[in-house]
Amino acid sequence: MVMLRRKAIRDIKENFGVYLACIIVIAIGLLLYTSMSIAVESMDKAQQEFYTETNFADGFITVTGYPENKVNSLTLLPGIDQVTGRIVKEVRIIDQEKNSNKYLKMVTLNKSNATQINQIKLIEGQLPRENQPEILVDPKFLEVNHLSIGDSIDLSIDGNQVPLYITGTGQSPEFIYIMRNAQDLYPSAEEFGIAYISLDTLKVLVKEKGQVNDIVFTLEEGVSFDSVKDNLQAELKPYGFRSIVPRKDQTSHSILTSEIKQIRTTTKTLPVVFLGVAAIILYTMLRRLIEQQRVSIGTLKAFGFTDLEIVLHYLSYPMVIGTTGGLLGGLSGIALSFPLTTMYRNFFALPGLKSEFSFKYLFISLALALVFSVLSGIKGSLDILRLEPAQAMRPPAPGTARKTLIEKFSWFWQSLSSQAQMGIRDVFRTPTRSVFNVVGIAVVYSLMTVSWSMQNMTDLLTVVQLEQVQTYDVKLQLSEPSPTGATKYAVAHDPGVSRVEPILEVPASLRNGWLKKEVALMGLAEGSRLYNILDKNGLRLEVPDHGILLSEHLAKSLNVSVGDIIYVESSLRRETISQKGENLLVTGVVPQYVGLNAFMKDTELQHFLRQGEISTAMLIKMDPAEVGAMKSKYQNASNVSSIESRKDTGAKIEKMMESFGFTVWLLAILGGICGFALIYNSSIISLSERKRELASLRVLGMTPREVLRVITSEQWTLYAFGVLLGIPMAFVLSMSMAQSMSNDMYSLPADLPPMALLGAAVGTAFSVLVAQSRAYYKIKSLPYVEILATRD
Amino acid sequence: MDILMEGKNLRKNYSTGEVEIEVLKGIDFQIFSGEFIVILGQSGSGKTTLLNIIGGMTQASIGELYYKEQPLHEIDDQQLTLYRRNEVGFVFQNYNLMPNLTVYENVRLVAEIAENPLSVLDILREVGLENWKDHFPAQLSGGQQQRVAIARAIVKNPELLLCDEPTGALDIQTGIQVLKALQKLNLNYHKTVIIITHNVEIAKMANRVFYLKDGLLDDVKVIEKPLCPEEITW
Ligand SMILES: Nc1ncnc2c1ncn2[C@@H]1O[C@H](COP(=O)(O)OP(=O)(O)OP(=O)(O)O)[C@@H](O)[C@H]1O
Ligand SMILES: [Mg+2]
Repeated sequence: MVMLRRKAIRDIKENFGVYLACIIVIAIGLLLYTSMSIAVESMDKAQQEFYTETNFADGFITVTGYPENKVNSLTLLPGIDQVTGRIVKEVRIIDQEKNSNKYLKMVTLNKSNATQINQIKLIEGQLPRENQPEILVDPKFLEVNHLSIGDSIDLSIDGNQVPLYITGTGQSPEFIYIMRNAQDLYPSAEEFGIAYISLDTLKVLVKEKGQVNDIVFTLEEGVSFDSVKDNLQAELKPYGFRSIVPRKDQTSHSILTSEIKQIRTTTKTLPVVFLGVAAIILYTMLRRLIEQQRVSIGTLKAFGFTDLEIVLHYLSYPMVIGTTGGLLGGLSGIALSFPLTTMYRNFFALPGLKSEFSFKYLFISLALALVFSVLSGIKGSLDILRLEPAQAMRPPAPGTARKTLIEKFSWFWQSLSSQAQMGIRDVFRTPTRSVFNVVGIAVVYSLMTVSWSMQNMTDLLTVVQLEQVQTYDVKLQLSEPSPTGATKYAVAHDPGVSRVEPILEVPASLRNGWLKKEVALMGLAEGSRLYNILDKNGLRLEVPDHGILLSEHLAKSLNVSVGDIIYVESSLRRETISQKGENLLVTGVVPQYVGLNAFMKDTELQHFLRQGEISTAMLIKMDPAEVGAMKSKYQNASNVSSIESRKDTGAKIEKMMESFGFTVWLLAILGGICGFALIYNSSIISLSERKRELASLRVLGMTPREVLRVITSEQWTLYAFGVLLGIPMAFVLSMSMAQSMSNDMYSLPADLPPMALLGAAVGTAFSVLVAQSRAYYKIKSLPYVEILATRD
Repeated sequence: MDILMEGKNLRKNYSTGEVEIEVLKGIDFQIFSGEFIVILGQSGSGKTTLLNIIGGMTQASIGELYYKEQPLHEIDDQQLTLYRRNEVGFVFQNYNLMPNLTVYENVRLVAEIAENPLSVLDILREVGLENWKDHFPAQLSGGQQQRVAIARAIVKNPELLLCDEPTGALDIQTGIQVLKALQKLNLNYHKTVIIITHNVEIAKMANRVFYLKDGLLDDVKVIEKPLCPEEITW
C-alpha cells in the first residue's frame, strides 16, 4: 500500500497547519497531564518514603514541662508504640542588623538519632555532638542566609546569648513545609528555619531543667489516634498540657497532603479540558477529510480495496496526529516535570522529591493520544464506509434546502451582505460541527475568563486583606497569653503609637459531629479598628456579643451554618470537672480570604477560657518612621515572640499570589492557543469545503478580502454563540477553580467581575482574528483556475 | 462459448425522498467469455446503473445475477469486494482519479492490490501517457484524465473490463488509440469488455450491442463482422 501511504502524506502536507494545530492542542493537554502526574507521583512517593525512613510520628503533643525521665513510661499506655520527648524552642538570631527578625526553631535530638521518632536525615556534614555547642540547620535556611558549615550563629536562648556552630544540614519529616505559624502562609527561609541540637546540649541552656515540652509518639499497628488521645491528655494534664494533634492535622503534613490532593484533582481536570478541545478539532477535521474524500473512498471500494484497508488508511491520519502529539506532549511533559519539581522543592523540603525520565508516562501519554485520536477517526469514517461504492462515488444528497431559522428574521437577513448570508447559512447547515465549534469556543472563552478573574481576584485579595482587614501597622506577638492592661499601657506610650488594640488568639478545636477542625480562635475587642471582619459586601461587621463567627471555608468544612451549634475546645481553657469544652452558637458566617479563623468577642472568649482579661498580641497603629525603633526595642524582650509590620505581611501575601500569577497566565496563553487552533481548523474546513464556491467568487472578480468575509461571518456567528455559552461555563469553572485552589491558609472568592467577561471576550476575539489572518493568506493563494478546471 | 455472466429479471429502485423510481425494470441477458459488448441508450436510460450492478458496485433490488455460475445477488459485502478486486476493471464516467497522486501513482495504486497486474509503464505507454506519468490529475486535460482512468482499469489485468464512456472526452486519434488497447486486451488475452457509449460508430467494433431504453433491454444486435478501431471514424 505504498501509494495509499503516499496519498496520506500528501494530504497531510496539504493541510499541515490544521494537523499541526491539532497536534499542539493534544500536546498541551498531555504536557500538563504528564508533568503534573510525574511531579505529584514523585511528591507522593517521596513523602511516603521519607516518613517510613525517618519514622514519622502519629501524634504531636505540646506541654509546659514534662519530666524527661517519665517520657518512656508513656509507652506503657495502651496503643502507644514509641515516644520521644524533646525540647522545642523558638529562638531569635542575634544579628548585626538592628531590626532583623530572624528565628530558629530549636528541636532536640535524642542520644541516638537512629532509634527516635522523626529522625533527622543528614544532608550534609555531621550530626551535632552531645554537650557541644553544635547545631544542624535545614538546608534552605543555610543557603538563603549565605551560611556555610562551620559558621557560628548567635542565638538568644532564654535571655542568654549563645553562639552555636553549624555542623551540617538535615531534614525532618516534621518540617517539610516550614512555616513559623499558620498566619505566615508561606515559607520564608530568610527569617525562619529549623535547627537540630542534641538534647543534652540544649537542656542546660534553657531554664526548665530536666523537662521536655514537646512529645511525639507513634501508634501500635491498627490503633486509632482518637483511642489514645484521652489517656494521654489525662496523663499530661498536671504538667501543663497544651495541645495534642494527630498526624493529619500537623501543619507541614496537612499542607503537603492537601497540595498533593489538589495537584491530583487538577491533573484529572485541566488536561481533560484541553484534550476535549483537541477532540473537537480532530473530530471535525477528520470528518471533513472523510466527507471530502467521499468519491475517493467510493473509488477505492470500487477497485476492490477492502473496508479494513480503507479504514486503516484513514486511521493513519489520526495515528500520525496521535503519535506525534503523544510523543511531543509526553516528552515535553517529562521535560517540564523537572522545573516543576524544582519549584515544588522551593516549598517542600522533601529529600526524595525529584523528577526523572518516565517511560511509564511517555507510554501513557502516547497511548492516551492514540486511543483518543483513533476513536475520533473511527467515529468519523464508519458512516461513509457503510455506503456501497456506486453510492459513495456520487455526491451526497443535498440536505433539504429549507430556509434556516435565521432567514425568517427577514429584516435582519436582508441587511446582511451576500457573503455574510452564505457564511451564516453554513453555520446552520452543518449543525453538529457548529455545535462542536461553539462548545470549543465556549471552553476557550471560559478558560480565559477564569484566568482573567483569578488575576483580578488575587489582586483584590491582597488589597482587601491589607487595606481593609489587617489595618494595623505592627503586630506585637506576645510569647505567652498575658494580662492585657499592663502591656497595652506600656505599648501605648511608645513613640509614634497612635492606637493599640489587644487581640486574643488561641488554638481551638471546633467540632460538629465527626467533622473537626483545628483553628486559631480570635477574640476581638468591641469596636476594634485594626483587625476588621468584613461581610460579603465588604462592610465592616461588629463581632456579636455572644456566640461564634466562622469563616466561610471553615463553616463549609465543618458543614455548619448560622444557627447551628458547634462544640469548641481549647487547651488554654481552665477546666472544671470533666468539662473540656462548650457548645457555642454559630452567629455568623463571614468571608475570609487569608487564614482560617473563628471569631468571638474578646470578653466572650475570655469568659469561655475561664481566664481574666488576657491577650496574645497587640495590634498597633503608628508612625511608620518609628517602626524600626519599635522592632529593636522589643526584639530582645522575653515576653515578645515576634514583631511583624504590615510591610512584611504584604510582602508575604504578594509572594504567595505571585505563584498563582504564573499559573493563571499560562492558562490564558494555553487557552488562546486552543482558541486559535479551533478557529484555524474551522477556517480551513470551510475553505476546503467551499473551494469551488470561493474560487468562483474570485473568478467573478471579488478580492480575497471580500471572499474571506464568507468565512469570517460564519466564524463570528460561532464566536457569538460560543461566548454566550461560555458565560455560564465560566461561572461554574471559576467557582470550582476557586474551591480547588482554596485551602486552610487562604480561600479565593469565586467572583467574576464584568471586566473578566469582557477581557476574555476580547482575548478570544483576538485568537479568532489571528486564525482568520492565516485563512486570508490561504485565500490569497487559492489556485482558483485550477480548482475550477478539475472534476471532483 | 462459455457463459461468463447471466442476469435474470434485474430491477433497480431508488428512493429519493418520497418518490420511488424504478431505473431498471427487469433486464435479462447473458454475456459470454471473451465478448466485446457495447451498451447504447439515451441519457438516463439506466446504462450506468446496469454496469454498476454488473461490476458489483451496487446490487440489484430484485433479480438474479450469476458470474461464473456464482450468484452475485446472494453474496455478502466482503465477497463482493473480492469480486471487484480480482475480477473487474472499471472506467468511471467521471474518471474519479485520486487528486493528489500522480498519473503513475494512480495506476500503481490499483496495481498494488491486483493478483497479477500488468506493468504500469507498459500500460501508460499504450494509452500514450508515458511522458505525463509524473503529472497530477489537475495538470491534465479531460482526455488525458480519461486515459489515466482507462490505464487504471487495464493494469489489473481483469477478467471483466467495464468502461463507462471511455472515449467521451477524446478526439478521434486518441479515441482510436484507447479502443485499440481495449480490443487488444479482448482479442489477445480473451478478456470480456463491456463499453457504454453514445457513439454509434464504436458499436460497430462489438460482438453484440445492447440497446437500453427506459430501464429495459429493448434490443440486442449481434454483429457478424466487428470492425477494427482503425476502420471506424466519427
Ligand atoms: N443513486 C441514485 N439515486 C437516485 N437516482 C439515481 C441514482 N443513480 C441513478 N439514478 C437515476 O437513475 C436514472 C438512470 O441513471 P444512469 O446513471 O443509470 O443513466 P445513464 O443511462 O448512465 O445516463 P447517462 O448516459 O447520462 O450517463 C437517472 O434518472 C438517475 O437520476
Ligand atoms: Mg451513465
